[in-house]
Amino acid sequence: MKIVSRNLLIFALLLFIYTILFRFGLGELLTAEKWAWVIIISVVYGAMIFFTAWTTGKRDGINNFLFDAGFRWNLTTFIVWGAASEGWFLLGLHSAHETIRVVHITLLIWSGFLILHLILFLILRRRTIKGIHKTNIFE
Amino acid sequence: MKTDDALHKELLSAWEETYKKGQLTLWIFLSLKEGPKYVSGLQESIERFSKGTIHAEEQSLYRTLRKYYHLKMVDFSAGKGHKGPDRKYYHLTPLGASLLQSFVERNIQLFFEEPLKELLLNDSITAKK
Repeated sequence: MKIVSRNLLIFALLLFIYTILFRFGLGELLTAEKWAWVIIISVVYGAMIFFTAWTTGKRDGINNFLFDAGFRWNLTTFIVWGAASEGWFLLGLHSAHETIRVVHITLLIWSGFLILHLILFLILRRRTIKGIHKTNIFE
Repeated sequence: MKTDDALHKELLSAWEETYKKGQLTLWIFLSLKEGPKYVSGLQESIERFSKGTIHAEEQSLYRTLRKYYHLKMVDFSAGKGHKGPDRKYYHLTPLGASLLQSFVERNIQLFFEEPLKELLLNDSITAKK
């Protein structure tokens, strides 16, 4: 059982690539003032993250029995998205329509949800034995 | 309308499907109680003990044994493979053995005591038409 598993690393890498591509596309579309397309790529970006998290998480569950109520995936998304977005601004790659304040507000709200998720995980952890959910031990 | 035979077959199959869920642990533990085994050997003895009614996929056994190893119910030692690399020979740990003992006492032994034993062995079942 690994906390940082291969599937989690694959997810983090793909998320990083998606975020860079999204940031690039978003900047271009905002500069061109193509508002409808901004919504479309945002939805596509969100759907791709969801789909990738779903598939890598499911695959991870087959061989890695560690029960975390999805917290590792949420935390990874928070870290990777936050780092990629902050880096994007620090390198000055953002468009004139974007401000770093939006990234900071998003991270602030998200950290609140992250804490709630952690509390949920700690509550649900009572249903585990040595990190494995009781219902998944005996087959 | 299905004939009684077809209905019997279908119901038995559905019952067995439900009954077998959760059975793998017992079969693994019983096979390991017989002696240390590598995965293919374990698979063979489960089929032999269950008279072919339980078939465990190798992948599923590996996954299950890894879990039991993590929970300290089984352990393994390396042994000579058959013309190949060394194999992992799994055995029950004292925790696994005592767990099996308790499970059998609480859930299996009652089938060997009256009146259940009599009911199970008596094939003259009274059924109203």
